[in-house]
Amino acid sequence: MYQYDAFDHAFIRDRVADFSDQVARRLSGELTEDQFKPLRLMNGLYLQLHAYMLRIAIPYGLLAPRQMRRFAHIARTYDRGFGHFTTRTNLQFHWIKLAETPQILTELAEVEMHSLQTSGNCIRNTTSDHFAAAAKDEFEDPRPWCELIRQWSSNHPEFSFLPRKFKIAITAAVKDRAAIRLHDIGLHLTPQGFDVYVGGGMGRTPALAHCIRRGLPGSRLLGYLEACLRVYNRYGRRDNSFKARIKILVNALGPDEYKRQVEAEWATMDASRIDPPSDEIERIRAFFPLPDLSDAAFDAAAHARAETADPGFARWVKNNTHPHKRDNHVSVTISLKPIGGTPGDASADQMDVMADMAETYGYNELRITHEQNVVLPHVARADLYALYRRLDAAGLGTANAGKITDIICCPGLDYCSLANARSIPLAQEISRRFEDARLSDKIGDLQIKMSGCINACGHHHVGHIGILGVDKQGVEFYQILLGGRADEKAALGVITGKGLPAEAVPGAVERVAQLYLKLRKDDNEPFIDTLERLGREAFAEALHEPA
Amino acid sequence: MSRPNSSYEPQLVNRAGDVLGDDGIETLDFDRAVAELDGLNGSYAVRVEPAQDVRELLPYLEHIARFDIVFPGYRDGRGYSSARILRDAGYKGALRAVGDVLRDQVFIMLRCGFDEFLLKDRTPSETVVAAAKRYSVTYQSAADAATPVWALRRAGAA
Repeated sequence: MYQYDAFDHAFIRDRVADFSDQVARRLSGELTEDQFKPLRLMNGLYLQLHAYMLRIAIPYGLLAPRQMRRFAHIARTYDRGFGHFTTRTNLQFHWIKLAETPQILTELAEVEMHSLQTSGNCIRNTTSDHFAAAAKDEFEDPRPWCELIRQWSSNHPEFSFLPRKFKIAITAAVKDRAAIRLHDIGLHLTPQGFDVYVGGGMGRTPALAHCIRRGLPGSRLLGYLEACLRVYNRYGRRDNSFKARIKILVNALGPDEYKRQVEAEWATMDASRIDPPSDEIERIRAFFPLPDLSDAAFDAAAHARAETADPGFARWVKNNTHPHKRDNHVSVTISLKPIGGTPGDASADQMDVMADMAETYGYNELRITHEQNVVLPHVARADLYALYRRLDAAGLGTANAGKITDIICCPGLDYCSLANARSIPLAQEISRRFEDARLSDKIGDLQIKMSGCINACGHHHVGHIGILGVDKQGVEFYQILLGGRADEKAALGVITGKGLPAEAVPGAVERVAQLYLKLRKDDNEPFIDTLERLGREAFAEALHEPA
Repeated sequence: MSRPNSSYEPQLVNRAGDVLGDDGIETLDFDRAVAELDGLNGSYAVRVEPAQDVRELLPYLEHIARFDIVFPGYRDGRGYSSARILRDAGYKGALRAVGDVLRDQVFIMLRCGFDEFLLKDRTPSETVVAAAKRYSVTYQSAADAATPVWALRRAGAA
């Protein structure tokens, strides 16, 4: 993975010093909370319902074992022994003391990590395909481009006070695992160059991004992004924060007019000052070699015996492994969605175990997914059973990747000051309803995504079943959306039926799942395909208790 | 648009930290500048609000000694783009940041080409001088003389 050089280290050191000074001014009373707020937000520090929350950037979701261990150490030393992985592939600590944040940031900097630009109206952490460099359907490793964008967007002087936050995602595969059309800018790297999608997003006005340029050469990427951002910075709405994302501007102008303005802006820029020569991307690329994958023969007979002896292992292999470029390897998803657990949470001990497993079986690499799980991208098939037993012993062996209990969920009203409704307890209850592995396997791939408010941190617009918590005269209510998806066939879910009280939601989900089992063409037709074939209305009635 | 952020009276300082007095230059509002600069002789300052397009003034740069770029609230970042457009177009005169200008913005303002600050700060001179040195590393080209890291890396490798 990318390793800091002296320049990168110096930048982070300066930034920690900067923020330490700001914290000192706040603690001494020189700064009021109002004055401090924009400064702490630049550093990922939020004031939540009960305490400060610190959000740490995990650039494009990529982690080394020593970094995961450092998270474990911070969780034990400065928090309550656990952390929460987010849909932006970042990590949040929810019980932080302000006075200790400079020390935490110093300890993070030692392992080349920081919390910069994880909040505020700036360019946020670029996300990517969690199976990058491992998946069979990939054209090129997108991570060097993510790193190029990370550096270009760090402390960008022109784009630190945008109308609203700005998120970029990149994929280079046929299957879109990075939800690029739900991003402010989504980049699809193809053999012809980058296809540039602009204006996607969730929140209260969800939108799918429009392609405004195909085949942009990588050597011109940063200049083009700079033009996209400048048009947005100048003309994005600032009068209403709910209408300030770029999707609103693109829809108001129309994608063609937005594109025209971007290209006119691009033409005024001196690209040679913005886009580094190709040796910089080559330099970065050299940090991302495919690991020296083991040639160890895969003993299929021994593997089959283990699957027969341990049905839990067989399920886990079926559900939590993904095909790898090299046939004797797979990518493994470590589920952070145990039945009845809090989606995305991991204890300090579990973080240490994941770091150990990455070292022992995973070529020293971990990835965080936007589904709030952890991936070991390269694992030899021969090591799978040993790995599974170690994970399972640590409570990390849940065999539900992509299944109905692999729920994406924001922290909701249990932590977040923006939330209207709780989301974690409801996710836990739905998860318990589908605890029966046979039922959950029979249902197959079905994504439930849940947000505790309209800001959509839990991606409810693109859940096959989306659940949105709202406040209805002081009572928590939940709207159900059907038919969303975040992949290469991206679509927005549509609110279906009437809002439900919390206690009615798990039953509604059960009835929809059961109806799907009845209506599907055959065992191979996934839920989303049945839904698209028959239409949402076919499922609307199932949301409500039969009269 | 935002609440007051600093109780300190604004003071005018340049990038070297010198406190500046009134330069006596007549200040035009934007609309008047667009309408009249073509027919005027001499040198003027022009006050630019965030929604106003500085490109409309590019034909008249020789008559403009100073732009006052207004930041009505620190969250409004349009002035950074205005400054860069002017510098990219070759404007060499003064760029003054006015409005809600606080110490933590000075570094990026310098990078976008500002060289005068109507700054609300306890120690404005020291603050501006310190801000210039706040970061030793810059990752991207802007309107200042700083060399982006990728170019320094190339130079080091050469």
